[in-house]
Amino acid sequence: MPIEIPKDKWPGKIRTVTLGATSEQGGSRGKTVTLGGASTLPFMNFEAPMPHPPQIAFELRDRRPDDWSAVVLDVWGGAADDPAVWARAAEEQGADLLQLSLSLTNAQGNPTTPQMAVAATRKVLESSSLPLMVYGPGQAEADNELLVAVAEATKGERLALGICEDKNYRTIVAAALANDHLVVARAPMDVNLSKQLNILITDMGLPPDRILMDPTCGALGYGIEYGYSVMERLRLAALQGDSMTQNPMTVSVGFESWKTKEAKVGADVPSAWGEWTERGIQWETLTAVTLLEAGADLVILRHPESLRRVRLAIQDLASIAQAA
Amino acid sequence: MYIIGENIHIISPHVKTALEEKDARFFQELAIKQVEAGAQALDINLGPRKKDGEEVFPWMVGVIEQVVDVPISFDSTNILGIEAGLKKINKSQPIINSTSAEEERLEKVPLVAKKYNARLIALTMGKSGIPVGADERVNIALEKLIPRALEVDLPMSDLIIDPLVLTVSGCQEYCPELIQAIRTLQFAWDPSPAISVGLSNVSNAVPRENRPLINRIYCALLMGVGLKMMIADPLDEDLKETIRILEARDESTALGRLYLNLRDRTAAAEEPRAEDFDLADAQQAAIWKTVQILLNKVIYADSYLEQEMAS
Repeated sequence: MPIEIPKDKWPGKIRTVTLGATSEQGGSRGKTVTLGGASTLPFMNFEAPMPHPPQIAFELRDRRPDDWSAVVLDVWGGAADDPAVWARAAEEQGADLLQLSLSLTNAQGNPTTPQMAVAATRKVLESSSLPLMVYGPGQAEADNELLVAVAEATKGERLALGICEDKNYRTIVAAALANDHLVVARAPMDVNLSKQLNILITDMGLPPDRILMDPTCGALGYGIEYGYSVMERLRLAALQGDSMTQNPMTVSVGFESWKTKEAKVGADVPSAWGEWTERGIQWETLTAVTLLEAGADLVILRHPESLRRVRLAIQDLASIAQAA
Repeated sequence: MYIIGENIHIISPHVKTALEEKDARFFQELAIKQVEAGAQALDINLGPRKKDGEEVFPWMVGVIEQVVDVPISFDSTNILGIEAGLKKINKSQPIINSTSAEEERLEKVPLVAKKYNARLIALTMGKSGIPVGADERVNIALEKLIPRALEVDLPMSDLIIDPLVLTVSGCQEYCPELIQAIRTLQFAWDPSPAISVGLSNVSNAVPRENRPLINRIYCALLMGVGLKMMIADPLDEDLKETIRILEARDESTALGRLYLNLRDRTAAAEEPRAEDFDLADAQQAAIWKTVQILLNKVIYADSYLEQEMAS
């Protein structure tokens, strides 16, 4: 007996947001990346096609990180010592785009200067053709100082600058506005604040198609269900037509996953936890795939093997029966 | 609408200072002002006053009863302080605000209400906090609050169920559920206990300039399901005008017709519709947006009024 599968039709649609600019568009990227465009829940291909399947970025640092899991640092090897080498390696490993995180200080403990931030960004842009996101160290003053310099030095590249938060967004938004970039707007797992921040940023005149929402995620076992609910709620609101929630969502899965004890610690843990590398990769992969189901349009990862597995999952999910 | 005036509340810095200074005149003026503005009872929230409740509550009763005759509602968790205050009451039948369905409180507080012939506000909140769903809240009233009132022989007319208003800023999903809870509660028992809510809670944590609008729109929706009593700000003229329009069914203005439409749609368990509103009119558009957040149709944000109209 043929079974009629019920189909939802939503009044709203996720905005498309394009990162990166090619030389014809005033930048230097080899390609652009477009996120969003969905008109139904993730991977419900029988209801509506997913015009832009989720994309995957690798997170890089401007210098070898002090606090990353050894599992991740080992796999990148010496590349992690130089953002130019790291960026090239990340592109070879199959990333769709790159996310460069600026450190608060250099290896000697001196504060990162705007010149250093610009130099690191330039290195990445020169050695890779992928669109780029640049995040400040996460302290308002340093973020503003470094990101303004980076924005000015890379005018027209359509970078995504982060992180805008409700306490600190004006300077970053102004820098994006003046230099043809995008912003990443992060709220702490709070649907009201996510929406409020989008309203505040668009009030400054930045077009909504230059905003990515970062709803903040939790890793598997560390609040993933809470983050999932927030993302799901935002996505449902967007599909129901709430224009200030219709931005594509990005989540820092690598950052959250690799700071869990399960992914970060290799010694003195129960043997039932299994082999360390595999465990860490599983942690990152499962967190990512779960959040893709909640509506993530972009997941930022750290381990190349996680990227391969998440990519496969996206391909499998996206190839399930298209709309008849 | 029976308004229990909310303005003597420790959250106000003026009240706090006046209490520290035992400024009787301040409280008398605030009491008179509220009663003149139409408050039919006065809620007195001085916090728990763990140390001096048994001295402060009776003092306050003396101060208030010197100038007004309306019932005093003791809004505190300090039952010893409340009891001391109740002993001092000479005028109208007082109100205890409140008991919850938590075992210990439900054991003690109704006995005090009975002993001093006070009315009792009972919250639909158990040990595990406030349930989201309307049915769960009604069940707490039916399974815990009403049976306990019967048990201590409190007249049903002295029981006031408060199904609990939560803020649209952060607890948005509770807002439509409360409307349903009030709709159901009135028919849950015969004779029906009174139902009251703390209206202003709906706009807690909302920027000050938007609070009155949210309060009065929620009031209109709640009146649609039959709310007749609430703790609210009697000095809010726009709120009182909304209540007047709804009670008098005053259709003489566009705004009046809109409020009545909102009330009537809610009464009929229908959703308000965009086509009922003149969205080109700024005031009506603001009301529509407010209805949308209160019914949890659109996610609340502090700047929700500035958002372009949803397509």
